[in-house]
Amino acid sequence: MVYFINDIITGALIGLLYSLVAMGFVVIYRASKVFNFAQGELVIIGGFIVWYTTMQVGLSLWLSIPLSLVLAGLVGYLIERIFLTKLIGESVFSMVMVTVGLLILLRGLVLLLFGPAVRPFPIIFPLKPLFLGDMLIPMNLLIGGIITIVAAIGLSWFFNRTRSGLRMTAVAEDHVVASSMGISVKGSIAFAWVLGAILSTIGAMIFLSGKSLTFLASDIGFAALPVALFAGLESIGGLILAGVIIGIVQSLTTNYLDPLIGGSLGSVVPYIIMLAILLIRPTGLFGWRTIERV
Amino acid sequence: MDPSGIFPTSYRTDRRVVRTRWQVAALALFVVLMLAAPYLVSGRIIAVLNLMMISAVIAVGLQICTGYAGQINLGQAAFMGVGAYTASILASKTGMTFLLTIPLAGFAAAVFGFFFGLTAARIKGFYLALTTIAAQFLFHFAVLNLPSTWMGGSNGITVPPAELFGLRIVGETAQFYMNFAVAAIMIAGAFGIVRSRFGRAFVAVRDDDVAAGIMGINVAATKANAFLIGAFYAGVGGALWAYLIRFVGVDQFTLFHSIFFVAMIIVGGMGSIVGALVGVFVIRIIQETIATVGPNIADSVSFLGGDIVFAGMNVILGGVIALFMILEPKGLMHRWNILKSSYRIWPFPY
Repeated sequence: MVYFINDIITGALIGLLYSLVAMGFVVIYRASKVFNFAQGELVIIGGFIVWYTTMQVGLSLWLSIPLSLVLAGLVGYLIERIFLTKLIGESVFSMVMVTVGLLILLRGLVLLLFGPAVRPFPIIFPLKPLFLGDMLIPMNLLIGGIITIVAAIGLSWFFNRTRSGLRMTAVAEDHVVASSMGISVKGSIAFAWVLGAILSTIGAMIFLSGKSLTFLASDIGFAALPVALFAGLESIGGLILAGVIIGIVQSLTTNYLDPLIGGSLGSVVPYIIMLAILLIRPTGLFGWRTIERV
Repeated sequence: MDPSGIFPTSYRTDRRVVRTRWQVAALALFVVLMLAAPYLVSGRIIAVLNLMMISAVIAVGLQICTGYAGQINLGQAAFMGVGAYTASILASKTGMTFLLTIPLAGFAAAVFGFFFGLTAARIKGFYLALTTIAAQFLFHFAVLNLPSTWMGGSNGITVPPAELFGLRIVGETAQFYMNFAVAAIMIAGAFGIVRSRFGRAFVAVRDDDVAAGIMGINVAATKANAFLIGAFYAGVGGALWAYLIRFVGVDQFTLFHSIFFVAMIIVGGMGSIVGALVGVFVIRIIQETIATVGPNIADSVSFLGGDIVFAGMNVILGGVIALFMILEPKGLMHRWNILKSSYRIWPFPY
């Protein structure tokens, strides 16, 4: 029973990590109407920046973490300036294809710059797990979960209550309408990408803390994708619930169902949930319903 | 537009694919050159042409699904994989002839694609792209986790060579003719599909699915059909691939391969069968160049090792996709059409 509860708690915390990465998707979507397929690559770029500033340059963590966040934001800004400003008002297809192109472009660049070697990632959060009775909770995930919840509440307040957040929401509705109302679409998209890259870097720190870093870590982007869709692409608060549900289901499948069937159903179960939710409720749990006119 | 002096006088002439004498001559010359190719060029080029023809079948399928019907499909490699696995299982376990396994591979892929096409009835845009990515993951999962006696698991399956009337189709040249025959049939079929009732329904749904529905087109069925046809082409291409490589493994059908196919139709031009062929040609040439040049560069930057080809391919293709979307979203065919119409009406500006 204790193990069961422990699995649920660990699953929920991993789910919260997915939520944080998924928050990158949602923030970029909420402020620019672009669905960023390259989110996983942003996570490893963030990871490599952190690795570079601590392990290569040798800065202390207190200095390197803020510096990494700034650098990551800069990378996000550059990507936006080079690829996305030119697509304002273009079709969904163009946007999707550009981010798909970015996905393989960034992966190739990371491989060219850093190579396929496995690298140790700095220990950012304490390695010693938290013991609660017989239960064992990984510290990095616990702190990460708290960061995720705080970030979700903060960003949710920002996008739903503040003036500038609501402006960005208008951009997500329609680029042309928003810009004719005097809202800076460019500024909004730039902000979205900076924020998305920063969130990805935080995600990388939590995910990779004390582990090893390769370019394959970008798979977290695809693992987080079902969470974003389950919550609905417009809802930041909903991510928490969706992440926790998917994390728990995945953890239980991995621990109880996989030994029975002798496979790794756990890794696909989020996708099965995603397909089901897309069929039953295409907008996700908390997404906007739009009415289309001709 | 047609050159001056060419007027369709009946619906039949208006529907023609090959419209002028010069086009007939060019097509005949192309076919003759292709048939004679094994005697004209080296084995290396024949090997590249084999890959190009197989990619052409798959890319044309993707063109129908994405370019004509507007349904974003990032799972074409998975559909191809379903076809490749079907053909290799049938050929290795039952010893069926390739004349049957290739169409059956197409049908198996079509059923798989149709299932994901049904989701397109409710969702669109990038949500759809996501379900096709899910197809990709589910395919991997199925191959790797089903009992390995079924699909070979991570070991893959070895495929027996294709046979026709007791003759084994082995070696680049024999396979070249087999691939050419299949590719010719499939591409001719594609020209037929896109100017038929279905093709016009695809274009209507692509341009505005709400309006198409109001005009009496069954939008859900049309979208599912688009996936069915696109996946059928991918399945046939996958079967050809299985016979060419004689081995299938799950690593040959990843999301990256799907993106390569998408890159082909973007570079060639969306909504044009010839565009898909142009795209296949350009992308395969780039790929071949990197494969040739890559190892030389790899010697000078040694820490990358063999990954430089993969990495370089990703950088260039990713850059090409993004650049084309930003600078020339209609692809190379669009440029060619502008050029063609301007020389046809020369010396007048319009």
